[in-house]
Amino acid sequence: MSAWLSGEVHRIKTDVAVIGGGTAGLNVAMAAREAGASVLIVDKAHIMRSGAIAGGIDHFMAYLDTGESWDTREAWLKYVGKVARGAADLRIHEKVFCDELPAALARVEKIGISLRQKDSGEIFRTQTLGQPGPYSINFDGKFLKPAMAKEVARRRCKVINRVQVTNLYLHDGELAGFAGWDMRTGDFYEVQAKAVVIATGNTNRMFKSQTGNPFNLWYCPANTGDLHRAAWDAGVELANVEYVRMTIVPKGFSAPGFNAFFGMGGKFVNGLGDAFMNTYHPMGDKAPRNVMVWGALQEVRAGRGPIYIDVRHLKPKDLEHLFFTLGIDKDTLPEFLHAKGYSREGTMIEMTISEPMQARPSEMCGAGIKIDETCASNIPGVFGAGDASDQMGCLHMCMAGGFAAGKHAARYALRQTRHRPLDAKVLTAERKRVFAPLTRRAGLHYGEFEGIVRIITTDHFGPIKTEISLTSGIAKLDQLDSHREELKASNLHELMRCHEAMNIHAMAKIVAHASLARPESRFSPYHHRADHPETKDEYCGLVVVGKGADGRPTTRFQPLHYAV
Amino acid sequence: MTAVIDKKKCNGCGLCALYCPLDVIYMEDGIGHVVYPDECWHCGACRQECAKGAVRFEFGAMMLAV
Ligand SMILES: Cc1cc2nc3c(=O)[nH]c(=O)nc-3n(C[C@H](O)[C@H](O)[C@H](O)COP(=O)(O)OP(=O)(O)OC[C@H]3O[C@@H](n4cnc5c(N)ncnc54)[C@H](O)[C@@H]3O)c2cc1C
Ligand code: SF4
Ligand code: SF4
Repeated sequence: MSAWLSGEVHRIKTDVAVIGGGTAGLNVAMAAREAGASVLIVDKAHIMRSGAIAGGIDHFMAYLDTGESWDTREAWLKYVGKVARGAADLRIHEKVFCDELPAALARVEKIGISLRQKDSGEIFRTQTLGQPGPYSINFDGKFLKPAMAKEVARRRCKVINRVQVTNLYLHDGELAGFAGWDMRTGDFYEVQAKAVVIATGNTNRMFKSQTGNPFNLWYCPANTGDLHRAAWDAGVELANVEYVRMTIVPKGFSAPGFNAFFGMGGKFVNGLGDAFMNTYHPMGDKAPRNVMVWGALQEVRAGRGPIYIDVRHLKPKDLEHLFFTLGIDKDTLPEFLHAKGYSREGTMIEMTISEPMQARPSEMCGAGIKIDETCASNIPGVFGAGDASDQMGCLHMCMAGGFAAGKHAARYALRQTRHRPLDAKVLTAERKRVFAPLTRRAGLHYGEFEGIVRIITTDHFGPIKTEISLTSGIAKLDQLDSHREELKASNLHELMRCHEAMNIHAMAKIVAHASLARPESRFSPYHHRADHPETKDEYCGLVVVGKGADGRPTTRFQPLHYAV
Repeated sequence: MTAVIDKKKCNGCGLCALYCPLDVIYMEDGIGHVVYPDECWHCGACRQECAKGAVRFEFGAMMLAV
């Protein structure tokens, strides 16, 4: 233990620091370098294979101006205004996504990843998620992440891998820098940055999962809200964090596949063998994701479970494409399905509702750091990008919007004449706090602590909520505060998990507070208040969460307006 | 549920341990070890990186039997 505490302290200065070198973060870095800033990327894993697309990705949603009426910027914005109503800010969406889309598509191809089908050389698109036409480009993105990692190296961005960032610091109300530590060496990092872009994804492991294993998840279990919590603690406002997102996953394995299954024409059926989605949405199996989850929940509750995806009617060519693309999105899914006994010839694949998570309510917005049209937060010098921001999510927005964030952060940083100072006393205290779980001889294992959080969240707002369930859930989560000081780690890996567990706990409280501030239901079941089941026009907008003087979450409401 | 490394095939290159996004693989005695099998996300990055074909997957009863 003492060896870990005697690790080196590294002091680094940069123009722009990117926290989280995932999909969005690497685009941030490319843009900031292109704008002439020095760039430091800090990631908890290794950027070659970190985050959501570590093992691959298969759909890029976009309009392509092919001449079809649904394939234009206007039609796209109408779609966003419809499916992400009350969560997506269209002015921001235009700037961070639409303006950047053509360059983002070109960038993917430029770094060596083709958006076209190998055999035909054509773009192949499918329609799901309430889209007015087939917006989802099917492509082989198995090596998109390593290709982007090589590109940031080529652009001479500095990278520090396996460093978990733990807190952000301000000076006179503006960003000064942040602290982090290396989980392989125990070294401590003190970074001064003129601007930081937070791109650390959403919060996972917050609710119970289908098999009880908190790492058997749809989204990346390494994203645990670390920087949502740290930013909020530093005074950064969050938005859209009341939403508890879920999807439909294979029974036993929380893997993605929704887009591929339904895009290729899979039919959602219940335990009677009947297709049911037309009861819940005019678009049936092509309805938005939240409606599909809602439909599945109702069928199961009514005793018509289990639920299945029927692919028996698909043509052999389509089945082959389906299994191929499932394995692009989740490398190990085809062999899992095979091990379960599902053959390629076609079958009814049993599905279930995934674990809930803190994340965006729609593919057309985000959840987290509240950003403006320049991707800036309310704190000068702090920017947000990707799933960690309230207006971006999914591949298309992380690629396009990440680049926008990088440009703006660089512009801001290059205007600053000096780095703001970090307080040495505060950093010494942070170092002590970070390594404290290693000094405890006895105490609570992170798994147990996180397990308690998951029981509380799942019982009280996972996903259905009421004022009573939320208030009593918050009281239980508050009672857990004293146990944070008991968390014990016996090595650096466990130390990382201890910090993740504390961040999940803190984010759970923030989610519950934000949920209380929305006495209506929206994107059900993602925010379903059983005591306010209707959607109300006066709540069409963002619940913005800040930190009060007493250290507790405060909320305010910001309306959003839509032309149609 | 976990990635499993075949000790006989592993040449100790270390790429799986370097890249695993969940920090669950470590090198021990010059060979890749899945030290935290319960924390494997099944992303397949380790297998894609392994030039020796030393990584395979075991899903376990909790995933296959439910
Ligand atoms: C398996 C899977 C398949 C998907 N398929 C599709 C698809 O086909 N199409 C689509 O549009 N979307 C898809 N999505 C969604 C899409 O991939 C994500 O929205 C997007 O990649 C998120 O990018 P990001 O940069 O915001 O987060 P990530 O890429 O997850 O990056 C977050 C990074 O932050 C790092 N990090 C976290 N905490 C810290 C910390 N404390 N300190 C330092 N670093 C930290 C992580 O290691 C990680 O590298 C899929 C998601 C998953 C999980
Ligand atoms: S990548 Fe393969 S060969 Fe290299 S250490 Fe890992 S298992 Fe061994
Ligand atoms: S499958 Fe992914 S999470 Fe599991 S050991 Fe391999 S790289 Fe790590």
